[in-house]
Amino acid sequence: MWRRIYRWLDERYQLQALVEFMSHKYVPMHRHTIWYYFGGVSLFLFLVQVTTGILLLMYYRVGEDASYESVRFIMSQVRFGWLIRSIHSWGANLMILTVFIHMFSVYFTRAYRKPRELTWVSGFLLLVLALFFGFTGYLLPWNQLAFFATRVGTEIVGSVPAIGHELVRILRGGEEVSGATLARFFGLHVALLPGIFTILLTLHLLFIQRQGIAEPESWAGRPESEKRRMPFFPNFLLRDLLLWLIVLNVLAFLAVFYPWELGPKADPFAPAPPGIKPEWYFLFMYQTLKILPAKVFFLEGEFVGVLFFTLGGLLWMTVPFWEGRLGKYRNEIAHLIGWIVLVYIATMTLWGFRS
Amino acid sequence: MQRFGIWVIVGVLALVLGGGLQTGQAQTQDQCRTCHRELLEDTPSQKYVNDVHFQKGISCAGCHGGDPTQADMDAAMDPKKGYIGVPKGAQITQTCNACHANESRMAQWASSIDTIQFQRFETSVHGKADVATCVSCHDVHEIRSSRDPQSPTYPTREVFLCARCHADPAYMRKFNPALPTDQLEKYWTSRHGQRLQQGDTRVATCSDCHTAHTIYPPKDPRSSVYAVNVPIMCARCHSDPAYMKPYGIPTNQYDLYASTAHGRALLEKHDTGAPACNDCHGNHGAMPPGVQTLSHVCGLCHTLNAEYFSKSPHAAAFEKKGLPQCEACHGNHEVPTTSLDQLQPEAPVFMCRKCHSMDDKGTQVARMMYETIRRLVILEEEARRLLTAAEQKGMDVADAWFQLRDVHNAYLKARTVVHTSDPAEVQKVVEPAVQTAEQARTAGQRALAEFDFRRKGFAFATLWITLLVIALYLKIRQIEARSRDKRLKP
Repeated sequence: MWRRIYRWLDERYQLQALVEFMSHKYVPMHRHTIWYYFGGVSLFLFLVQVTTGILLLMYYRVGEDASYESVRFIMSQVRFGWLIRSIHSWGANLMILTVFIHMFSVYFTRAYRKPRELTWVSGFLLLVLALFFGFTGYLLPWNQLAFFATRVGTEIVGSVPAIGHELVRILRGGEEVSGATLARFFGLHVALLPGIFTILLTLHLLFIQRQGIAEPESWAGRPESEKRRMPFFPNFLLRDLLLWLIVLNVLAFLAVFYPWELGPKADPFAPAPPGIKPEWYFLFMYQTLKILPAKVFFLEGEFVGVLFFTLGGLLWMTVPFWEGRLGKYRNEIAHLIGWIVLVYIATMTLWGFRS
Repeated sequence: MQRFGIWVIVGVLALVLGGGLQTGQAQTQDQCRTCHRELLEDTPSQKYVNDVHFQKGISCAGCHGGDPTQADMDAAMDPKKGYIGVPKGAQITQTCNACHANESRMAQWASSIDTIQFQRFETSVHGKADVATCVSCHDVHEIRSSRDPQSPTYPTREVFLCARCHADPAYMRKFNPALPTDQLEKYWTSRHGQRLQQGDTRVATCSDCHTAHTIYPPKDPRSSVYAVNVPIMCARCHSDPAYMKPYGIPTNQYDLYASTAHGRALLEKHDTGAPACNDCHGNHGAMPPGVQTLSHVCGLCHTLNAEYFSKSPHAAAFEKKGLPQCEACHGNHEVPTTSLDQLQPEAPVFMCRKCHSMDDKGTQVARMMYETIRRLVILEEEARRLLTAAEQKGMDVADAWFQLRDVHNAYLKARTVVHTSDPAEVQKVVEPAVQTAEQARTAGQRALAEFDFRRKGFAFATLWITLLVIALYLKIRQIEARSRDKRLKP
């Protein structure tokens, strides 16, 4: 029956040509092949986010008097609402984690080098957008933790000289985190960010399709007979699918056994809960800002932190363009920079957790 | 006037030339006294002989400064020798503190008076510069021990001393317009006041409750009359069997009170809404409430209970028998934490037993009310257990908790309505709450069932995913084996 359906479709849409095209795509096989899968897993998790996000939108209502109540309604009254919300929350965290892993694996395998500079840039921008997704989505249940985390998070922008205060006002839609902030974040989370993300993701995937998957640098100059490859379709795709299923099961496990808590409703007049911290993926930045002194030379400590991460991010994003100028030790230097960044993020995150 | 002048000159000459007035004793060498008492005969020096300080050998110069050994007025009252004249304002407290805040100096006179009085006084309501100083209460030039009946701080005189300001509305308005000024008037109506008028100085006067130097507003937790501190303050005398022996009244009120719902709320939870001694007995007009007025006193807080009781058949019966309304069932100081069992005829704590036999109508009414409320209690407990279990398993049962809060409120209301002694009234309150409790219980059961469903669902999904994973794995192996075979074929 499957064959008949396939033939029927092929007759009309020439599927065979597509299969031919895909079967001529190969994925290099070597000791670091495992890292290739994290791009696919990130994509899968993004699709999970889109699906669960659309389902949540059916019941979610935005507003100071509606957001918390609607999320509570989703979790307690809507059939499988608890599962969808938990998967959405856990999925967001897992997606950011896999995107980070994907980015570092690309960096350490030096797959960002020519001709894949724009794949790297678009990938980095996708990570930044994913972080924005996390930040805006975190406020939407309008619970106490989200409220205070957003207040602290948006306050940081205020440290930018001259325009800081205005930036905070724009971000919050007023002087304080309020219903206006909620409406803004909701708009960003469900309309603006998905739009930009989809465009960038399409570009990112197009680049990969066009240029193929990067081969290790050590393969350069090797005879073709020594290079092991597997067909993208069906071999690699089936392996990817297998991993997606495992990730789906992990998500289900987390949602069932560690359902995402809602906590008490946000109360702007209540004291901030003790030990308030942002989500784990912001912890390394938060901890850095925490340990900076109030003044660094003539600049505000927080602003120096913001400047540091902005410049650091720009350098990281543009690494394919300047790394080539490092001379004959470029591999070693790039490797060292990668490790410094990785160790810094890991150390600051751990420190942030423990403090 | 001319004659007086001559006498002064004669006197001074006699002093200077004779020097025979010096007897070697401190006072006789005190030239201040010689002039002021013996020649000028002014009031302060006349009064000073009765002053405790004079009796301890302290001369005028002790407070006023100067050189009391100099017969010459200018030399004796020389500012260079520390003469300050009449101390004013802060100078007064500085003068008193020169000795009274100095431990070693007070030890010279073998005084047991503590030396931090002023330190305490300074923080009190009276310690502000323009309110009062030491002399406002202790007098000047005739300061006596507080044990001296002539002292203004002696119990029989102290109440008048405080009333000098506190019973003067015009004066008090300057400092605290909201403070009543009828304390002394009320005090005379109290048992303490009545006995003081009879000459009993062992009863409580102002400083016994408010302290002498550490007076704070009653809302200040440091105050001896702050709600939480009141019971222990009263107990200082009322729980002392030796002290209370002459009065023949019990001394276990504090112990009884401390173990009751009222006492625990106030003393352990520091809930200042709970009654302290003065809330039932009055403060300045402290008196045990009478049989007729007791329900009014309890009814101040337990409004509905008093209202329901007044409409119940018990009201007339109690009046006829002369029983105190609330106390007859609940006791006074020993008011126990009420429990539903007090309405259960078989329970040892059944409170109607005092008047009703086991088979009379009253006992039957109690049983009906008990069973109605008990049904609600059992349902509430069960719902609470289920909801707690569901919550511990991570289920969201917030709405059911809200329902249960209403149930508990209805339970509390039902306990109030029992004062009507009408089972139908109790039923009216309990019935809707029973339905709400059943809904909450169902919500708990559903949440637990949902929890099991999720686990089973997860197990089922995992099984399917695992099967799919295995199938995919086998398919991949099959595909890769085929590819290998193709490559190996010549």
